[in-house]
Amino acid sequence: MAEFIMVIIGGVQFGAIYALAAIGVVVIHKATRTVNFAHGGLVMLGAFVTYLVVVELRWPYWTAYVLAPLLIGTLAMALELVILRPIRRADMFTVIMATIFLGIALSETFRLAQNTEMLAVPSAVKGPPMIVPLGEDAFIVTAEQIWVTIGALLTGFAGLALFRYAGIGRSMRAMASNIRGAQLCGFSIDRVYALAWFFGGALAGLAGVFAAPSKGVSPELAVSVISAAFVAAVIGGFDSLIGAIIGGLLLGVVETLSAAYVSSAMKSAVSFLLLFVVLLWRPDGLFPERKGRDV
Amino acid sequence: MSDRLRGILRVLAPSSALVAFLLLGLFVGQYQRYVLSHAAAAIVIGAALTMLVGYARCISLATGAMMALGAYGSTLLVIKLGFPFLLAVALGGVLGGLGGFILAVPGVRFRSHNLAMVTLVFQSVVIIVIRELKGLTGGAEGLNVPRPTLFGIDFSGDYAILMLTVCVCVCVLVPLTILVTGAYGKNLRALASNEVGARAFGISIEHHLIAAFTISSAAVAIAAAIAAPRFRVIDPDTYGIMASIFTLAYPIVGGMQSIWGGVLGGGVLALLPEVLRPVADFIELFFAVLVIATIMFFRGGLVDLAGAIGRRLKGARPPESIEAASPVDAAVTGGLETSNAAVAAIGNALVIDNVSKVYDALRAVDGVSVEVRAGSLHGLMGPNGAGKTTLFNTISGFVGADGGRIECFGRDITHSPVEGRIALGITRTFQQVAIFPELTCRDNVVIGLGRNGIGSVLSRSFDDIAGRARAAEERGQADWALAAVGLGGLGDAPAGMLSLGNQRRLEIARAIVSRPRLILLDEPVSGVGHQEAEQLKDLLKRINADLGVTMLVVEHNIGFLVSLCDQLTVMGSGRVIAEGKPEEVVTRSEVRRVYFGESEKVALHA
Amino acid sequence: MTSHHPVTRRSIGLALATLAGLGLLPRGAEANSQGVSKDEIVIGALGALTGATAFIGAPGRDGIQLAVDGINAQGGINGRKLRLVFEHAFTPAESVAAAKKLVESDKVFVLILASGSTGAAAAADYVRETGVPTYNLYGSTPIIRKPFAKNVFHSVVPPAEISGGKMVDMIFEAKPDAKRVGVLAGTYAFPQATKAGLLAALEKKKDVKVVVEEFDQGARDFTSQLLSFARQRVEAVLVSGSFSEAGFAIKQAPEKGVTNMTWVLDGSAVNDAIIPIIGPENTKGVYGYFNVPYFPAQLDPPIVKYNELWKAKYGAPPQGRPNVYDIAGYSSTFVLAAALKKAGTDLSWAGLISAWETVKDAKPSDFGGPDVAFPESFSPTDHQGNTRLGKAAIKDGIWQVIAK
Repeated sequence: MAEFIMVIIGGVQFGAIYALAAIGVVVIHKATRTVNFAHGGLVMLGAFVTYLVVVELRWPYWTAYVLAPLLIGTLAMALELVILRPIRRADMFTVIMATIFLGIALSETFRLAQNTEMLAVPSAVKGPPMIVPLGEDAFIVTAEQIWVTIGALLTGFAGLALFRYAGIGRSMRAMASNIRGAQLCGFSIDRVYALAWFFGGALAGLAGVFAAPSKGVSPELAVSVISAAFVAAVIGGFDSLIGAIIGGLLLGVVETLSAAYVSSAMKSAVSFLLLFVVLLWRPDGLFPERKGRDV
Repeated sequence: MSDRLRGILRVLAPSSALVAFLLLGLFVGQYQRYVLSHAAAAIVIGAALTMLVGYARCISLATGAMMALGAYGSTLLVIKLGFPFLLAVALGGVLGGLGGFILAVPGVRFRSHNLAMVTLVFQSVVIIVIRELKGLTGGAEGLNVPRPTLFGIDFSGDYAILMLTVCVCVCVLVPLTILVTGAYGKNLRALASNEVGARAFGISIEHHLIAAFTISSAAVAIAAAIAAPRFRVIDPDTYGIMASIFTLAYPIVGGMQSIWGGVLGGGVLALLPEVLRPVADFIELFFAVLVIATIMFFRGGLVDLAGAIGRRLKGARPPESIEAASPVDAAVTGGLETSNAAVAAIGNALVIDNVSKVYDALRAVDGVSVEVRAGSLHGLMGPNGAGKTTLFNTISGFVGADGGRIECFGRDITHSPVEGRIALGITRTFQQVAIFPELTCRDNVVIGLGRNGIGSVLSRSFDDIAGRARAAEERGQADWALAAVGLGGLGDAPAGMLSLGNQRRLEIARAIVSRPRLILLDEPVSGVGHQEAEQLKDLLKRINADLGVTMLVVEHNIGFLVSLCDQLTVMGSGRVIAEGKPEEVVTRSEVRRVYFGESEKVALHA
Repeated sequence: MTSHHPVTRRSIGLALATLAGLGLLPRGAEANSQGVSKDEIVIGALGALTGATAFIGAPGRDGIQLAVDGINAQGGINGRKLRLVFEHAFTPAESVAAAKKLVESDKVFVLILASGSTGAAAAADYVRETGVPTYNLYGSTPIIRKPFAKNVFHSVVPPAEISGGKMVDMIFEAKPDAKRVGVLAGTYAFPQATKAGLLAALEKKKDVKVVVEEFDQGARDFTSQLLSFARQRVEAVLVSGSFSEAGFAIKQAPEKGVTNMTWVLDGSAVNDAIIPIIGPENTKGVYGYFNVPYFPAQLDPPIVKYNELWKAKYGAPPQGRPNVYDIAGYSSTFVLAAALKKAGTDLSWAGLISAWETVKDAKPSDFGGPDVAFPESFSPTDHQGNTRLGKAAIKDGIWQVIAK
């Protein structure tokens, strides 16, 4: 039982990071109809900012939580402006190709700048593992696990609330449901797109800060995050923020459970099998957004 | 004969790049020969991806997995079962094709990012399986590949391997070129640009895409199988997701609109790392930037770039849009064969009996019964939301009816699939023109002939090469239909360059070329000018008279409908509210009330 | 149409002749001094600059280049300057291609394998076939070592049976009565080689239960492996993998209920970058062996001098650099230089190989460099330059060699 609880805690911790990354993917897709395969690269750069701030500059850890979203959000906005805006009229297929290779360009740039296998980042919170008694047994939980899980989830829900209730969120949602209508109502498409990319990028940056200590900073982080974020987003229906959060948590727990009770090879396969089953069984995800009749 | 020769040369041309490698190989060092073999395999992979990515527009991230299937499959057959090398390579291709088929059967129901994700699933699972089956595949440490032997001769020299590679690659590239440039490639481009239009003419999207995955995967697998001995050791990393992504760059950078794109892209991008060895660190970044730049600035890729440079050298101007609408040529239209008129015997072409269609709570079509007389020009009108489009779609098969029965020339077609309509003699046009802009006008019309089942399309692709009479016959029929609608001289023009009015004519040509008995016309003059509408009306009347073909026309333009049709049905709120002679029907008060939105009172005053 | 036949036949004949010339003729003696000119000796090296083993290849390149610069600054070897051609190669296929390119196209005189076991294993057949003098810096895999090849020499990384024995010894120094020992090994080439050495050494210990778990390259989640160790109450774990893999395994251990563990790491995992991963406060009980006598962060004069040279050429080092592969690449190049010098005027492959076999106690100071590695010696029957390993532990927040 204690072992099972420890496995679940570990799964939820990874799941919370997946969820945060997935929300960014969903926000950008919802507002701009762009499927951002470069999101993993943005998360990796967020983790890199953490490394620079915490290890290189030795600034207090909290500055990473402020700087990473700002910098990565701005970068995402710039990428939208320079690369994706000129091809906005192209079909989805072309845009997806562009974001796939944009992701490669981001992680390659990082690799060339650093040229090391992996950069290690210390945990944000320190302290000895806590032993929680459970009947005759006891399970262990670390301060980092608590911090990452709660921090990432709170950030995710804050993003969700912002998208749902704040002014910027309203304009993005208006744009998502009907571009022409939103334009007629005075929303500038350029502004909303820039905003959505900033918002999505900022979430990616935060996901990077949370992921850095437990995953390390390396180009492989970009690949592992993007597949996990997409699987989580697809499970959630790709357009649902709450779906992305639940999808991320579900993925983290299922992965860790299969690692613990089947095999470590199964862990890598299970996320893809989960994706496959969801796509075939419920192509709109487990939490489909209600769609208008305009199809 | 000269047509056939030209066709054969066209098909062999891409392979000439491979043969050039063979010649070049005579004059360079051993290592360069090794690199040329590498580029030869990349050319085949590029060509295969042109089919799948460029033509069918499927984003596949599973190319690495297909390469792995080919390389591991063939190597294991040689090592474990002692198969001869070439047979093992061929079976490696079969294994790859099988992989493509298994991926595609569930995969082709998705598009864009979801399809990309499904292919990523396949890619990852194949690599995980190879990693885990350590006893068979050597796991992560890799598998030693023996030297290829052929009839007892050991192929170990670099030139020998280059020869072998080029021979096998030509054997794959030629059929690939035939398919891509032939009917199959045209159908892929048709369905990629307009799925609805393609389906209406019998192109089964699923079958075509499954075939694209299967064929391209088999080609990729063979290319990888022939390359494996050159690698000496193969391991899962060689065929990982990065291999998938970087091979995806081949057709993008080369150009996705012709087989030359894949050939150029594969060849150039495989040789590029060798040229850029001094800056090897930057090669992946360079690739990524190159792809993004291609997408942003010259989406046609190297092929377009080469074309533009060629034109610049010749001083020619780029082709312009064809705007002028040629008037209907009375003489040509008069030449329509009238033998089919006899088919239009007395009786009903179409019997719609109590058909209903319900969306959620909305009864879009509510127990509608209409009879369309054979040989008639039957109009269908009604205000927005009256259910006429839904009714129209149930007849054309795009929407299944919830109740009732539809009979066409005495056959029950209520539940027959869209793809089968054309065989029953039913064709249609679309409210929003559904031509295939990338194909020529003639190729657009040829698709209208039907014969688009996957087997028949694959075999038709070889018609030109085999010099079969059928190809010339098809062209003749297409030219007849084009002439009949007044597009006689535009057979070779890309359809996308026509004016809207001419695109409507092209749709009509495509609809009549199969000599159908019933044409369903969905708002044939929407968006065209008055004069053009008059010309189209004359054209439709003439076709109706000369071919004896029955027409059911949905249209908002009442004046047009009244002057075109000899029978008119009016719908409102999902039901038929009036039927009869057009001039008479439009004066009825219930029609005026529902259709023109006039209240009873206003109608009385009028 | 009749003219076709002779043409085809002639071209086939030509092709076959070329084929025979290329494929079947043995290499002539004239190839043996390729890459040597009046004032230059070209040496080729290959290793990964990108991918999961870039932490081996890139330092290898930088270390070799640093030594080449130092040797050339001293006037080179018998009047000839060294020139390095380095090729990136990550996968086995790329390693074969890079070796072919270096030997056949760049015509290098000596080939250095700076790629770790994956590349060394892939290139093994090729270098045996061509006979090019080859210096295997980092490959512990038996594939490059057995059977013995006259033209292949090995540097600071000893065969896996030596390093495996050393690791097992370290366990019983820390926990003399350990009864349950875990082995955590990567599924790729060098951890598998080490694993074989570890299992061979553990077999000699009586009454010790061995639990083997594996992970894929670049793994970040060790849930299944750690749970298995916890369930079987393992007391010490031998880790064979990179520093990041070992680091995350150690970091996650308490989260899965694995506490009070003794960890003994393979040399490639002994890297200062592991400390921020596991946290300086959790480094008790972590040991490893190191292939050279000093850690970059130690304050002994040779390594301080080495660090100065490194920074002068490459600037402020990133985290984890210079590492053992920097140092080994550096010192091994001096060993190669000693062999080249001994060969004197006979700069042919055969000449170099026989000179190399007589090299004794070669070290950087022979050419004015700091002695940051154990001296290397060779004989006609033993091509392993170094068999010594230092024992390392984390003290005062850095790795230190505590016993040589």
